[in-house]
Amino acid sequence: MKKIISAIATVALVVGTAVAVAPAANAACSGKLKIAYQGPLTGPEAALGINELNGVKFALSKFLTANKGANVDPTVYEVDDQGDPAVAGPIAPKVAAEECVVALVGPAYSGASKVSLPVYLSAGLSIITPSATNPTLPTFGKSIFHRAVLTDDYQGPAAARLIVSKNKNAKVFLVNDASDYAVGLQKTVDITLAGRVVGKDVTPTGTTDFTATIAKIKKSKATAVFYSGYFSQAAVFVKQLRDSGSKITFASGDGTLDDQFVKLARKSAEGALLTAPAIPFETASPKLAKEMTAMGMKPGVYTTESYDAANFFLEAIKAGNTDRASINKYVSTKSSKGLSKTLKFDAEGEVSGADVNGFIVKNGKLVLLGAIK
Amino acid sequence: MDFALLRDAFWGLTFDGLALGAIYALISLGYTLVYGVLRLINFAHSEVFMIGTFSALVASGIMGVKVEDDPRTGWKMVLTLLVCLIAAMLASAITAVLVEIIAYRRLRQRGATKLATLISAIGVSISLVEAFRIITHSLPREFPRIMDKTFLLSYAGADIRNDKVIVIVAAGLMMFALERFISKSRYGKGIRAVSMDENTATLMGVNINKVITVTFLAGGLMAGAAAFFYILVYENTSFKVGFFLGISAFTAAVLGGIGNLKGALFGGFVLGVLETYTSAVFGTAWKAVISFLILVLVLLIKPTGLFGESIQQARV
Repeated sequence: MKKIISAIATVALVVGTAVAVAPAANAACSGKLKIAYQGPLTGPEAALGINELNGVKFALSKFLTANKGANVDPTVYEVDDQGDPAVAGPIAPKVAAEECVVALVGPAYSGASKVSLPVYLSAGLSIITPSATNPTLPTFGKSIFHRAVLTDDYQGPAAARLIVSKNKNAKVFLVNDASDYAVGLQKTVDITLAGRVVGKDVTPTGTTDFTATIAKIKKSKATAVFYSGYFSQAAVFVKQLRDSGSKITFASGDGTLDDQFVKLARKSAEGALLTAPAIPFETASPKLAKEMTAMGMKPGVYTTESYDAANFFLEAIKAGNTDRASINKYVSTKSSKGLSKTLKFDAEGEVSGADVNGFIVKNGKLVLLGAIK
Repeated sequence: MDFALLRDAFWGLTFDGLALGAIYALISLGYTLVYGVLRLINFAHSEVFMIGTFSALVASGIMGVKVEDDPRTGWKMVLTLLVCLIAAMLASAITAVLVEIIAYRRLRQRGATKLATLISAIGVSISLVEAFRIITHSLPREFPRIMDKTFLLSYAGADIRNDKVIVIVAAGLMMFALERFISKSRYGKGIRAVSMDENTATLMGVNINKVITVTFLAGGLMAGAAAFFYILVYENTSFKVGFFLGISAFTAAVLGGIGNLKGALFGGFVLGVLETYTSAVFGTAWKAVISFLILVLVLLIKPTGLFGESIQQARV
């Protein structure tokens, strides 16, 4: 509850001050152009942000090797919002005021996006998010908003289909952590499963004891539970679920798709079904994945999408666009052939022609099941 | 609202609520002891607990337990559990005493206002949380499974699990020992004397500083035990683990009547069970709303808590 109130307060504050703080869209940059990345780089969700930052770093270093004289700063401008709207609110105006930041990959999370996007809109700063999947985001970012992945409108139904394909007569219990992302995702799962949903509970972020939720799941006679939320709490939940003696199917979305989930939940994570509108870097390009690992950066979930997003911006710069407005125009109208898919945004900034992938935890590893049909 | 669930799973929920409540109760003893003696809310107490959880984690590593290992058995398991428990208790107790010496003692001796001490407490709390956030890279840590979790018996639909039984029984024993210590030992008498009247106690030859150190030590030991039990049941910790549990434990102390040992004990169990019941009936999201509403109502009727605030008579 505290988070929601502070998020609302920050939105109000940010929208109020954005106009005053943000520079004109064409403010001149006297030095090298910077590509920014925004997402959780510290905090419990940091693993995801670091995956994405690595994708951007790798794209940038490859670009600079191929284009020696390019007027682009070799260091990524890092924006750490901890995935938290309350943290993102005060940071966004500072990023917008940084004249040499001409494009931003991120924000990683939907809640943080909602408070950041209006600021970037008024500053004309073009963004491509590699992982914020809440369907309502275009209304916050309008012309500067682009998304390199499918929204929860696609992920939710795919997750529902994955559960049913593995569990023919599934009766599903839905649990979410009350975050923007989780509520949005659960809604679409709920609609697709319709009559199969036998119960619901909300366990806000910070919940450590899931006793009552588990009692409800047992009473509902559910054969599967879908957890909508992020990996750190998902791990605690699935552990308690298994310790209670329950063996029902555990499924979750891309917030849980992280090595950390398997590491924290250990044996309890075995058999967990996960979905993401993302493709692992190793699958998309084994050669580049090897090269990246050799540089000391481990690819993870959403590395591919971040890599593609950063490349699109870099192509725009290579084509001679050096300010925010022209870069935004370039990515909004042109297309870029990425590793995950061809990025071509529609009027809303949404991408099409991509799949939602299914994953399963097997022997302590996340294994790709392939596109969910 | 799902009263049927409460009816059907009543004993199971009660048992799990008691296990959670035992942890609350152990932490709340620290709040209550310090308040009883110094009339100070020791905000850093939640971090005393947090440090206990990390110490248990480190101790398990020293004992050679790895997260991927199978649970231990026999005397090896008992020994590992005991070492982790003692490590957590010692680390928490030392932290509590150090916090007192560094952050409170000088302020107290210079006659600082209660408010200054309170801010100092909040400052210590934030520094410790941030320090652990940096050390742990903000990531939660998993605790290895030392003891296999098995169901001892099933009664009226309630599955009684071994780790939770240990928590409830051991917490009860610790609280009994603390109560004996306060009511019978020389230092216990000192604590009671100081809580009644600091000046008179000094005149009677009670060494105030020593008594206060012992108070923090006892509170720290209990928080350390709580930390071990927490990590035994929930098997994870993070830099912010103390925040939510600290608030709940503090609430438990106020509910029972802060400054009152029996009150803290009772308040802890009541809050643990209440939270579990309300989660079942109204949904987990409403847990805090309903439990704290009940707290407000209780305080409206009994402003000094269920057992009264008076340290002097009631706490022993």
